[in-house]
Amino acid sequence: MSFRWSRAAAVARKEVYHVLRDPFTLMLSLGLPVFMVLVFGFAIEFNVKNIHLAVFDADQTRSSRQVIDTFGSSGYFIVDPVASPDGAFRALGGDHDRAALVIPGDFQKNLYAGRSAQAQLLLDGSDNSTVGPILGYVGSIQTVAARRIADFDPPEPVSVKTRFLFNSELNSRWFVIPGLAVVVMAILAVLLTALAVAREWENGSMELLLSTPVEPLEIIVGKLAPYAVLGLAALAFVYLMSRTLFAVPFRGSLQVYGAGCLLFLAAYLAQGLLISVLTRNQLVAMQVAVMSGLIPANLLSGFIFPIESMPAFFQYLTMILPARWLTVIARESYLKGSTFAEMWEPFAALAILTAIMVMAATRKFKKDLEP
Amino acid sequence: MTSTLRGFLRKELKQELRDPRMRILLFLAPIVQLTLFGVALSNDVKNIRLWARPDANDTVLQHVYERAVASKWFLPSAEGRNADPFELLRAGKIDAALVPPPGGLTRALGRGTADLQLLVNATNVIQAQSVDGYLRNITTRVVRDDLKIEPPESPIRFDTRVLYNPTLETSYFMVPGVMAMLMIITSLILTSMSITREKELGTFEMLISAPVSVSEVILGKTLPYVALGMAAVPLILAVAVFGFGVPVRGSLLVLTIAALAFVCTAVAIGTLISTFAQNQQQSMLGGFLFLFPAILLSGLMFPIENMPDVLKWMSDLNPVTHFLALLRNILLKGGELDFVLQRIGVLVLMAVVSVFVSFKRFHTTLQ
Repeated sequence: MSFRWSRAAAVARKEVYHVLRDPFTLMLSLGLPVFMVLVFGFAIEFNVKNIHLAVFDADQTRSSRQVIDTFGSSGYFIVDPVASPDGAFRALGGDHDRAALVIPGDFQKNLYAGRSAQAQLLLDGSDNSTVGPILGYVGSIQTVAARRIADFDPPEPVSVKTRFLFNSELNSRWFVIPGLAVVVMAILAVLLTALAVAREWENGSMELLLSTPVEPLEIIVGKLAPYAVLGLAALAFVYLMSRTLFAVPFRGSLQVYGAGCLLFLAAYLAQGLLISVLTRNQLVAMQVAVMSGLIPANLLSGFIFPIESMPAFFQYLTMILPARWLTVIARESYLKGSTFAEMWEPFAALAILTAIMVMAATRKFKKDLEP
Repeated sequence: MTSTLRGFLRKELKQELRDPRMRILLFLAPIVQLTLFGVALSNDVKNIRLWARPDANDTVLQHVYERAVASKWFLPSAEGRNADPFELLRAGKIDAALVPPPGGLTRALGRGTADLQLLVNATNVIQAQSVDGYLRNITTRVVRDDLKIEPPESPIRFDTRVLYNPTLETSYFMVPGVMAMLMIITSLILTSMSITREKELGTFEMLISAPVSVSEVILGKTLPYVALGMAAVPLILAVAVFGFGVPVRGSLLVLTIAALAFVCTAVAIGTLISTFAQNQQQSMLGGFLFLFPAILLSGLMFPIENMPDVLKWMSDLNPVTHFLALLRNILLKGGELDFVLQRIGVLVLMAVVSVFVSFKRFHTTLQ
């Protein structure tokens, strides 16, 4: 028997009915990407602001107030006065204040006497995501305070002029949103496919399909087609949102980016299929899909955590993840406007991984179905 | 504990652990993941490929470049010195480039002050900012050394100390986050899927006709998952402490109570989700619809301070936020009593509300 599109279409039609009959699932699978785009787009901002600073001022002089004012007017800190040095220390023990400033009673005296006037700054090290940026601000606040209060402005022989290429305003959203397509497709393709097909095994209806004249390949194409369409719809949605609501520039070629997405989608659909064949149980399939698809796509793809910062072993390990390569393609297409020729490496890697995944899934599936 | 409840516990644990794959997934996977993420993930800047083209007699720039490469943040680039830095950046062959003024940095400094241009690939915002900061520091120091300028002492100085994690170990920060994440994913999704599985198979209807009360059914279906969730805690904690050297400065008992409160909340929310779902697929999707924002808005990776007000309020309703704050507080700060009690109270309240609503919904759907 040979492959017939009509039979594959029949399987696809059944799967579509299945999805449509269950509006709750459909709503959830469409709602998830919407939700993620909104949360990621609005919640993620790496330029830390509104840090609560507990301040104890033992000096109560013009100079000490000016120091406090420099912190407050920097735009990064919100000043919370406390009544004792101990209170400043205790404030860090809770969760509200991330930093504490203690100005000693001899601050202005030292300053006027020409000695170096010191104030103590304590930072809450339990949250690295705020300490790092705060440490960066402290130096510039010290410079500003010295200039304002003591008129201290030594000349620097070299001034470094930095140009931030491809994202000159350092907009966090431009960094996050292009990678989002990868995460959203990973959820829809791997999870939904793995579950939908595993359900078929669980119910025993896969064995039933075997006794019909439908070929294994037709079953695969038919079963996966609706989920491919869902994945593509989510992709189009992410693209539209990124361009309209979040105004991220797209400088590359849409065709090239689309081709990358199709390859990626094929790889992840195949991975979902493979998981379902191997597990044949929705609960197990879900766990495996989360671990092999969802979490790596989120955390090991370079979406948030840079691959260059990983130990060498992980830099090589992430090479087998299609998500890593599509993240590169997405970011370069959006922000750099790279051409296909400039991105041949990620494309080649993605193509090889997709081919391997599709082959593995089809072979395993056929072997299990054919008598 | 009634014998019905015991029977439930036995059946549920047996069912969940019967499948050897499930056993592996439940216990081995969290440890493997914790290890992976504790080792692999950080926002530290490393291995940035830096390019510069100093002339043979531009010693200052050469020193800047050498000092940068000697720090562990930058890698030297092998690209030719006649290449166009913009092209190299675009092609992704380098990440940052130093471009001296015409005639070289050394000669410009001989005439007075000089501008040094730094080009950075800013597709990764966090990285770009750090690269900028590091190179500014290195340049200032090298130029002072080379020109033998004593840095004038600032009249105002902040004596900065980082408490609880003075060396800013990434693992101290990541490991509690991953712990919270793994615990809630497993407990919440497993509970809601196992309850919906009974619904799907029709065995739930059977349970109603049996002489068991609704509260026994619910407790019997949820307690095993509380037990499973708690069983992972010592394992995860052992990896955190012995594998990553994360300190436990507070009391283990308080930590256990906090973990129990969190697992109960997760299981209660899982139960609540299962009352809405008709099949396992729906309950899983519903679970993720809850988990994604819960994890993202918890302060696990992204500071809550930066979020818009609406999302800040949402993060107050998020059990992961509270448990994460508890974990960091107990592990790193030694657990301040007021704070710990208050947060555990919030978690318990959330669990009670979810259980209450679930009961209501079970009653209406079952009877």
